[in-house]
Amino acid sequence: MIQTVNLTKEFNGFKAVDNLNLRVEKGDIYGFLGPNGAGKTTTIMMILGLIPPTSGKVFLLGEELRPNNVEVKRRIGVVSENQYFYKEMTAEEYLTFFGELYEVPNVRKRIDELLEAVGLRNDRNKKLGAYSKGMQQKLAFARALLHDPELLILDEPVANLDPTSIKQIRDLIEEENRRGRTVFVSSHLLSEVERLCKKVAIINRGKLLAEDTMDNIKRRLTDTIHMEIELSADAESLSSSLSELSFVKGFTVEGNRLEVHLKTERDYRLDLSRFLYEKGFLILTMKTKEMSLEEAFITITQQNISLLARGEGNA
Amino acid sequence: MRTFRVMKTLFKRDFLYSLYSLGYYVAIFASFFVSSFILKNFLDSIGEEDILVSAYPLNYPLYITLVIISLYLVILSGVSISREREQGTLEVLFYGPVTPGSFLWGKYLKDLCLGMVALGFTTLYFYLVSVLTNIGFTMGLVKALIMSIFLISCVVSFGLFISSLTGRIRSSVLALVAILGAFLAIQFAYNALLGFEKESLSVPMLYVRQAMSYVFRGISWISPFAYLSRGLDSVVLENPLLYLANIGYALLYSFIFMFLSVYVMSKKGVKA
Repeated sequence: MIQTVNLTKEFNGFKAVDNLNLRVEKGDIYGFLGPNGAGKTTTIMMILGLIPPTSGKVFLLGEELRPNNVEVKRRIGVVSENQYFYKEMTAEEYLTFFGELYEVPNVRKRIDELLEAVGLRNDRNKKLGAYSKGMQQKLAFARALLHDPELLILDEPVANLDPTSIKQIRDLIEEENRRGRTVFVSSHLLSEVERLCKKVAIINRGKLLAEDTMDNIKRRLTDTIHMEIELSADAESLSSSLSELSFVKGFTVEGNRLEVHLKTERDYRLDLSRFLYEKGFLILTMKTKEMSLEEAFITITQQNISLLARGEGNA
Repeated sequence: MRTFRVMKTLFKRDFLYSLYSLGYYVAIFASFFVSSFILKNFLDSIGEEDILVSAYPLNYPLYITLVIISLYLVILSGVSISREREQGTLEVLFYGPVTPGSFLWGKYLKDLCLGMVALGFTTLYFYLVSVLTNIGFTMGLVKALIMSIFLISCVVSFGLFISSLTGRIRSSVLALVAILGAFLAIQFAYNALLGFEKESLSVPMLYVRQAMSYVFRGISWISPFAYLSRGLDSVVLENPLLYLANIGYALLYSFIFMFLSVYVMSKKGVKA
């Protein structure tokens, strides 16, 4: 749906985006992450054809993006980081205007559906100048979905929203994705990205550092799996025998609670369970303590670690 | 076909919004007020001297009316792109099926139609003047009104060109004031130099006067207001070929400036 090939943008010799290679497949909810100034918005602007790249290519919906290729643009919906409206218009007038631009059939019915979905039905006749930031964000969503696009490009889509509205928008994104829409999300809210996205790309200083599924990124960042285990009895007696296990890198014992750090070559959970059973312990709970996306993001961006294979992502 | 639909949608939104704005009617009625003042002086002098010396008595008041309406339209079109750039609404339009061409021609048509509505009011005003004063509503006045449509086209395309170059409303207004002010200053300086006898000027000043005449000639092809004067002069000269030529020049001028505006906008992009 989106592919960038060696995409580069320079501003007065400064590379804001440096040989970026992204690939968003049909049906993905794709998270695009990076700290402030990493080049996310510049990349989105190039993907949308609003600023020309210094070099490289963008393919949107299978076609190479060329200036004024409006037929491709008719098939995408965009919610930008900042919302810009004709403040003298009401929500209904605003959506009608865009409905006419995109030639939406049964536009009245579609507007009703969308205003209901984003929770603005009762504010449809209010001037947009009187809308709060959250309401503006929701209306931008309605505008982006108005023409039933195949691809949604969202730049910080929930930045100005309260928790209830965030959930409302998250549900909407998931619903649209279930209906076959591909979603490209750029966001600072890592918890939201973690909940929503199947695949993420992390960029820093214009360079792509990682592009993979969330699990793979976390797995590749760590050489230890942390297990938290609750046992049927006090586990202090296990200390000496645990340290003899070849797949255990370390452990801590606190009453009947055990935290074990396992090697990552393979899944050692069965070996550990068998060991504990043989020692006469029953396992009440066992869970893997996962690295959060936030931890992975901070590790990658602060240490500028590239998780890409040679020749992948950055040429 | 789809481009025309986009243009139509943009035109409709902008046209209706501008038509409901107070500034538009203030400009029209300000122009009528100034024209009425000139007409009053003119009628007073006819009353005193008992003689009408002009074959086109209403053309000068019409010229003044058009200058005031054109000043309003040049500012309106001059800020129309920069306003949308500054407010960010241009960016949102360009996420979708809007191109620099459809956007600019939509704006052009909107301002041209606003000019034509203003010309409708102007026609009504001069018809009433003609009925009330017994000054004939001549064929010359009709020709001048028709010519005015093309002259407004020049004014609008010039304003849009300036707006395509600028990112903010303030810079558009400043650029317009500076450019039009420079045109006027050059015209004034040239006329002042022409007022001197050739023999009374030193050699360097003669060179300056010669240089000014070239600059002035150049400006007369760039300034939209020069087309206004030339177009209305062609009516008074009663030369049909010159009249048609001036319509042709005005159309050519409009297309060149619109082409340049589309090019500049494509290069400059949507950001302020």
